Amino acid sequence: MHVTILAIESSCDDTSAALVRNGIVLSNLIANQKVHRNYGGVVPELASRAHQQHVVPVVDQALKEAGVEKNRLSAVAFTQGPGLLGSLLVGVSFAKGLALSLGIPLIGVNHLHAHIMAHWAGEPGKKVKTPGFPFLCLLVSGGHTQLVVARGFLEMEVIGQTIDDAAGEAFDKCAKVLGIPYPGGPVIDRLSREGDPHAFAFARPRIGGLDFSFSGLKTSFLYLVHDEVEKNPRFIEERKADLSASIQHTIVEVLMDKLEKASEQTGIREIGIAGGVSANQALRDALEERAKRYGWNIYIPEFIYTTDNAGMIGVTAYYKYLAGERTGQETVPLARFPM
Amino acid sequence: MTPAMKNSAEAKHWTACISSPEEWKEFSRRLLHFAGNHRVIAFSGPMGSGKTTLIKEICRQLEVADVVASPTFAIIYEYRSRNSETVYHMDFFRIKSLEEVYALGYEDYLYSGSWCFIEWPEPVKHLLPPESVWVEISVDDTDLRRVRVSREKDTG
Repeated sequence: MHVTILAIESSCDDTSAALVRNGIVLSNLIANQKVHRNYGGVVPELASRAHQQHVVPVVDQALKEAGVEKNRLSAVAFTQGPGLLGSLLVGVSFAKGLALSLGIPLIGVNHLHAHIMAHWAGEPGKKVKTPGFPFLCLLVSGGHTQLVVARGFLEMEVIGQTIDDAAGEAFDKCAKVLGIPYPGGPVIDRLSREGDPHAFAFARPRIGGLDFSFSGLKTSFLYLVHDEVEKNPRFIEERKADLSASIQHTIVEVLMDKLEKASEQTGIREIGIAGGVSANQALRDALEERAKRYGWNIYIPEFIYTTDNAGMIGVTAYYKYLAGERTGQETVPLARFPM
Repeated sequence: MTPAMKNSAEAKHWTACISSPEEWKEFSRRLLHFAGNHRVIAFSGPMGSGKTTLIKEICRQLEVADVVASPTFAIIYEYRSRNSETVYHMDFFRIKSLEEVYALGYEDYLYSGSWCFIEWPEPVKHLLPPESVWVEISVDDTDLRRVRVSREKDTG
């Protein structure tokens, strides 16, 4: 029997809908101009907050693209949290209404759990290399930096996390210091390719255990740039690539140090990265280098599954469905929702 | 303590100098006392001036058990204090327009009666309830912070 799940993600900026059949992603759409054009509308100015305007067109498009009729759905899944209450509410309410009208179950999913489960997102006719359990995953995005041990599809344990800024935020804020508009992380990645990663040294966080801290590093970067600009007003312009490469190198090393430590402590060698920052080239290179050095088996989901997307919500919901987990109609979004 | 500090609950504004991170603890106590029943506190100051660090310390005093981290990406974090009170930690760094603030449903937070600690509050400065507390941090040099606390922003 097929298990076909419609999934909705609306925890932060983007509205996304996906169709997942037996854990295989048939369609995975993030609301954008194209979705709206097909639906006969335009993207509103306030795209980032306009889940309300996005949710119907994006769900409609996801169903069409997958070639699935609503009455063939087994369940409706949604992101329950963590996230912005107002944003989550749109997805939760839509999912509730749809599930109720179709007489099918609802499945609430934790957004962070889903980021880890992105590693199991398969596509039709495409073989994905999936991790074995236990699996150690570094989740890095604009808003999250966590080390997670997955002992099964539904058994997640956070063993380390940031105590101040997320890694992605460190990238974005250092970019801002260089005059690159938010979110400038991807620009840092690009500029770094032309720069020397050892041109500048910054104060590394001194924090024990498996937690992360990037606030001091950001400040150290800021002060260095300020001091140098006082001596030479063209400093940023002249050394942008070196500054980018150096801060990127430092952030990546901090992440890798903790990942190594976590692998050592847990003895786990099935290791992956997830979240938006896993697109960063230096991080990927560093992970591959460690894999060779320590004999790790490494996993990186495809880019679409590292951003905030409904495909990963649907994949997670599939495993919850198989385990018999259902969410009642009385459910509410949870802005605060530890994994 | 100077006489002005003794009466900080009644004073309209006061200033403090912070020369080491440990001093945020004493500062936080005074700030909570000054705020009294007015639970919206805005924290302005340049990047790296210590806004998140200060809010972490305030949350420690309120016995928040959650990890207090920067909400720049998430915009709003929600915590619980030990006696189950809600604490909102907000950050408008990446907000570009007032319309985005409206779309967030800001009044649900700012008029909830719960503690609201706001970083990068500039986009919402005209939306804060009257008697909100403003904490303005300036960086004198690497290790010295000058902090001005008032009931109104930018007044003498």
